[in-house]
Amino acid sequence: MTKPVITAFDWVPWFAKGQVRDLRVRWALEEVGQDYEVRYLPQGTQKQPPHRMLQPFGQVPTYELDGLALFESGAIVLHIGEAHGGLLPGDADGRARAIEWMFAALNTVEPPISDYAIATLFEDHEPWSKPRLPSIVARISERLDELSRHLGESEWLDGGFSGGDLLMIAVLRQLKGTPLEAAHANLAAYVARGEARPAFRRALAAQLAGFTAKPPPEYAFLDQPPARQGESK
Amino acid sequence: MTKPLITAYNWAPDEGRGLVRDMRVRWALEEVGQPYDVRYLNWGEQKEPAHRARNPFGQVPAYEEDGLTLFESGAIVLHIAERWPGLWPNDPAGRARAIEWMFAALNTVEPVVWDQVIARVIDGKESWASDRWPSVLERLRARLGELSQALGDNDWLDGEFSAGDLLMVQVLRHVGDPAILADYPNLKDYVARGMTRPAFKRALEALQAGQTGQPPAGWPQ
Repeated sequence: MTKPVITAFDWVPWFAKGQVRDLRVRWALEEVGQDYEVRYLPQGTQKQPPHRMLQPFGQVPTYELDGLALFESGAIVLHIGEAHGGLLPGDADGRARAIEWMFAALNTVEPPISDYAIATLFEDHEPWSKPRLPSIVARISERLDELSRHLGESEWLDGGFSGGDLLMIAVLRQLKGTPLEAAHANLAAYVARGEARPAFRRALAAQLAGFTAKPPPEYAFLDQPPARQGESK
Repeated sequence: MTKPLITAYNWAPDEGRGLVRDMRVRWALEEVGQPYDVRYLNWGEQKEPAHRARNPFGQVPAYEEDGLTLFESGAIVLHIAERWPGLWPNDPAGRARAIEWMFAALNTVEPVVWDQVIARVIDGKESWASDRWPSVLERLRARLGELSQALGDNDWLDGEFSAGDLLMVQVLRHVGDPAILADYPNLKDYVARGMTRPAFKRALEALQAGQTGQPPAGWPQ
């Protein structure tokens, strides 16, 4: 079998480094011990026809192996979980519940978190973003409270580490640097547990090592965080 | 085997249009021809401990079958597709692509559609709502344009009707203003095609027949 080929960016804005969704696929491949290759896209080319043939929404990642081409990081992680051991339990019920948590991460927990990024990064200069923030925070907090209660003292969401934990931790990591990051001690510890996994560390290092290009001139101001936010870290 | 048991509302604020997420599960069960039972909740009961034991996020639907309890409509539809034939192709690559479209519906298209629902229904009265609306629409239209391109002249997203189409059609039904979808005639036809499927119609009738409850006290008329 040949190695799978995934797509990733050769440059992203400072706030996306370590967060781009190819990380989810890299992490899954590292968990199952599958080598892969990366085709790097210069920023902007994801919206052009060659990549749109693979990904109609002009996003990364994609996944290609033996004539199969897939997009959507959730679908790719599930596919990797089905093709290899290590991300889904062997019993049918446990497997269904791991998939349940994959969807919970992407369809219940992630949407309000993405909305926070819209208000604080992509639309931070817009007059409506500040007044909107309390209702976004309230929606995220409700989900985090529920997730925290469910997780309780457990290490992972349902038994052993699964693709559901992988996606949930990838989603929760997007709160880094926000006041919501430390809202629940058990969730913060859960994220830290995921990030301490050797497979995660390898995946993160590989994504960061792939950012080798200079920003396109029009995005140069997004290459580094604004000075004030840099100091407060 | 006992019949699966799903959880649904006996009253919901969508006026029986079948926008509540148990519709996805009902439709999937109808597509595969599997009878099911329904446990009805009064609006509000979804947040109480008895239902939170089934779904920690206090939402419908939940799905129970032979000792397995599942939540998340996407995961339940996927489980139904694995359990009974009819919701995706037999070949592994076709099946993987159907699952890809399921995730695309729920993680790429639904967030922008849902943002539009929040902007209209929940934030609609805020002083800044109308200033923000163009940016909400722009993100929605970008996705709809891409989806429209991907669908082209095809009936369904990837070959035959699949669980990916089922979820995508249900997500697109949340685009509230018909004028928006009308700008993408192939998507408008696609949604209509989904809604004329006999399984969709049976699911919607069952959902409507289950609307026997009342809005909670103090619900705005």
